[in-house]
Amino acid sequence: MDPSVLARIGNLELVSRAVVDGFINGMHKAPYFGASVDFAEHRGYVPGDDIRRVDWKLWARTDRYYVKEYEAESNSNFSVLLDVSKSMNFGTTGITKLDYARILTACLTNLVHHQRDRVGLVTFDNDVVDFVPSSAKHMEVVLHTLDKVEAGRPGSLKAPFQKMAEHFGRRGVLVILSDFYEEPDAVLDAVAPLRFRGNDLIVFHVLDKSELDFGFTDASAFEDIESGEQMPVVPDAFRKEYQSLVRAHLDALQQRFSANRIDYTVLNTSKPLDHALYSYLSARARMMKVR
Amino acid sequence: MAFLAPLFFLGLAALSIPVLIHLTQREKKMVQQFPSLMFVRRIPYQTVRRRKLRDIALLCVRLAALLLIVGAFARPFLWRPNAATAIGATAREVVVLLDQSYSMAYGDRWDRAKAAARDAINRLGPSDRASVVLFSSGADIALRSTGEKDRLIASMDAATPTAAATRFGPALKVAGSILAESPLPRKEAILISDFQRSGWRGEEGARLPAGSTLTPVTIGGPLDKPNASVTSASLSRSTFSDQERVTVTAAVANRTIAPVTGDSLTLEIGGRAIQTLPLNIAPEGSASVAFQPFTVPSKNMRVTVRAGNDALPTDNVFDLVISPSAPVRIVVVDSGNRPGAGLYLMRALAIGDAPKFEITSRQPAAVSDEDLRRASVVLLNDVDVNVGLGRRLQRFVQDGGGMFIAAGPRATWPQEADILPASLSQPIDKSRGESARVGALEYGHPVFEVFRAPRSGDFSTARFYAYRSVAAAPNTQVLARFDAGTPALVERKVGSGHVMLWASTLDLSWSDLPLKPVFLPFIHRSMVHLANYTEPAPWLTIGQVFDPDASSAKAQATGRLALTPSGKRLPLEDEGSSAQVLELTEQGFYEIRGQKANSDVTVVASNIDPAESDLTPVEPADIVTAATGSTGQNAQQAEADVPLTPEAQERAQRLWWYLLATGILLLGVDTLFSNWLSRT
Repeated sequence: MDPSVLARIGNLELVSRAVVDGFINGMHKAPYFGASVDFAEHRGYVPGDDIRRVDWKLWARTDRYYVKEYEAESNSNFSVLLDVSKSMNFGTTGITKLDYARILTACLTNLVHHQRDRVGLVTFDNDVVDFVPSSAKHMEVVLHTLDKVEAGRPGSLKAPFQKMAEHFGRRGVLVILSDFYEEPDAVLDAVAPLRFRGNDLIVFHVLDKSELDFGFTDASAFEDIESGEQMPVVPDAFRKEYQSLVRAHLDALQQRFSANRIDYTVLNTSKPLDHALYSYLSARARMMKVR
Repeated sequence: MAFLAPLFFLGLAALSIPVLIHLTQREKKMVQQFPSLMFVRRIPYQTVRRRKLRDIALLCVRLAALLLIVGAFARPFLWRPNAATAIGATAREVVVLLDQSYSMAYGDRWDRAKAAARDAINRLGPSDRASVVLFSSGADIALRSTGEKDRLIASMDAATPTAAATRFGPALKVAGSILAESPLPRKEAILISDFQRSGWRGEEGARLPAGSTLTPVTIGGPLDKPNASVTSASLSRSTFSDQERVTVTAAVANRTIAPVTGDSLTLEIGGRAIQTLPLNIAPEGSASVAFQPFTVPSKNMRVTVRAGNDALPTDNVFDLVISPSAPVRIVVVDSGNRPGAGLYLMRALAIGDAPKFEITSRQPAAVSDEDLRRASVVLLNDVDVNVGLGRRLQRFVQDGGGMFIAAGPRATWPQEADILPASLSQPIDKSRGESARVGALEYGHPVFEVFRAPRSGDFSTARFYAYRSVAAAPNTQVLARFDAGTPALVERKVGSGHVMLWASTLDLSWSDLPLKPVFLPFIHRSMVHLANYTEPAPWLTIGQVFDPDASSAKAQATGRLALTPSGKRLPLEDEGSSAQVLELTEQGFYEIRGQKANSDVTVVASNIDPAESDLTPVEPADIVTAATGSTGQNAQQAEADVPLTPEAQERAQRLWWYLLATGILLLGVDTLFSNWLSRT
């Protein structure tokens, strides 16, 4: 579904359900699905275990006490780290990067909620703005927080990520949605603390189409949304150099994230959300295999 | 470098407009918001700087264009103080003054005058301008200051000689005003005329601007063609068989060197020839021709005295309007019980001839309203007036009638009718000792004006043995006093009429005035004055004005119009119903009539000025000297020394044209340049 159409639907729950249900219905035979199974393994009974979890059939066969371990117990925390800095409030294709990221967040949250993972949300600009701890019951809270999100202040990565790293004490999956207008090394420095606790990181670099191809035509003064600085720009003269600079930036990010085993995906807000969901699920699958 | 209109440099403020636009466009150029200039900032700034440089070049082009256009409007020129005869010095402002008085119709003078004017116009250079002024007694600008020769010649060809006389003064004043307003360096007036002496008195005070030249073109020639002109006519009235007869005597002059022989003089009445007499006049001579008397049966008879055809036919005609003389009707109120009391008075009034006096004698009780309605003057000859008669006489005077009161011993006047100029007191007896005399007269008054000259009548010879002591009322005029200082004759204006009080008798009882020669003119002048009688003029001269309100035409209430001799209709009332005077401009008979078909008609004869018939020329140099202050040669020299005016220098150089063209060209370049910039 066209992101710009989705952006016009106010209800995030409805949007996320429409996207995820359609996605699941179309992809239910996919190998990724079913990663979550009920039974995981048996282990020997130790005093203190709940006797209701003793596998009595196995006791009957072996006369030994075993306790069933269920996969459900291995459900991870899933948190989305959403950049709500002013630069995210930009869009030329009918949807801003923030709206795109918000819809994507809702979709991912909805998706992992179906998988019974605990969902949480952190919004940040140059500081942490909203923090919804991961919980199986926080789906509604996450959606409500997303609904209220507004881009207001300039953003930075280092300070909020350091603060967040202290909160994510339990291992989980962290999805970062940002436009990453910082130098690649600075980005990596900011993101790295999040991995120290064993979190799996999935990075979505959300960019508008014009940020990628610089498709402006009229010579005009370009104003930095966050700083207000203006520069006279002749797009036709700038385009090639700009595109090469952006490409180099993206390649540098790709290289550094890959080197740190971080899944990195560039999202063009003019493209449907499926691409992002595929990226997430493939990354998830890779994590499962590794595990 | 100087400028004719430096105030236009205020327009340089417009230079700030493109600068402001340039600046504001830079500031308010379309702003494109962008998430981050992180990458844009890394792109070399050289590209932006290069664009700014190109914009400044565009700005300079625009500023230069505006500067040039403003400079063009300021009309710049290179000031050359000594550029008297430089380029443009040949440009002339020429005023052609063409005499169209009726003397120009003599022989072929008018054709020669037009040819001379045409030559003057054809000699105009490409940068010259000319005006055509047609003049006679006045001056009219036929065409003002143009270089179009065809229009100038056409305006001159359309003119014909008028019936007016020559007056050089107005023409020179008009020419002076045209030349004074002209910016051209050379100013020239060409005066084409027959230069009659009658048109120049030397006191006109008309001066052309300094440096102007006046070129006289004399359209004269020998006066070898006979020209008889009827200069005036006199009327002699007589009564025959109770009918008034008029004898017309015409004065005819010949001011040429050719004798008038075998010509004829015709008297026409109503357009029909009544009598024709032979006319022979020696060169530069005159003759008086008397026609047979004829009766005047009705008002406004149109009489024309016409000489035969000659070289100047305009002055051969003399028109008159003759009406039966209107008598002054007087009601003499006498007591009737004193034989001989009115003898001298009645005899004096009976002698009246111009005008005649029609006398009605009544006793006080017999004065009827019909008598007062018909009368112009009521003369109370020492009578006792009761209240009823006094009030009727008061109304009579207020309506415009005149009243003369001879205050003898019996004269009384009722207090209820307050119109007397003085209050009557007891008689003063001067029978013993030295008698009284009239000592002081108001000679400025119409009654005594005829006695002003020496040996024109002496009132002091009359002796008064008694008189009434009177005290003049306010707002009255004492016209005569006795030697004792008391008023003898007092006048008061009441309403539209006048009342005169004579403080003695008009018989021999109190004085011997009736025996003196001054008695008869005194009585006649008093009656004429009280009756407000004016002799209608048989003719007027072109250039005079006719006041319809002062004539019998005033009987027509409103909506009067004048029918000119050429058949034009001129309304004589403004929109506000105020009457206009009629200026006579044509020769012939004017008719003034009301709008209604049966309304009374007044006819006025309008004749040419006979002085114009005298073709004796004046020396043109006199006029040139008076108008320019120098002879023609000096004026030419002065003209050469006059430096070019700034206007003339600016017009000759025409720098503004080049500046304007360059400015417009730059604007075109600016358009192309900016289009090119917007594409790159």
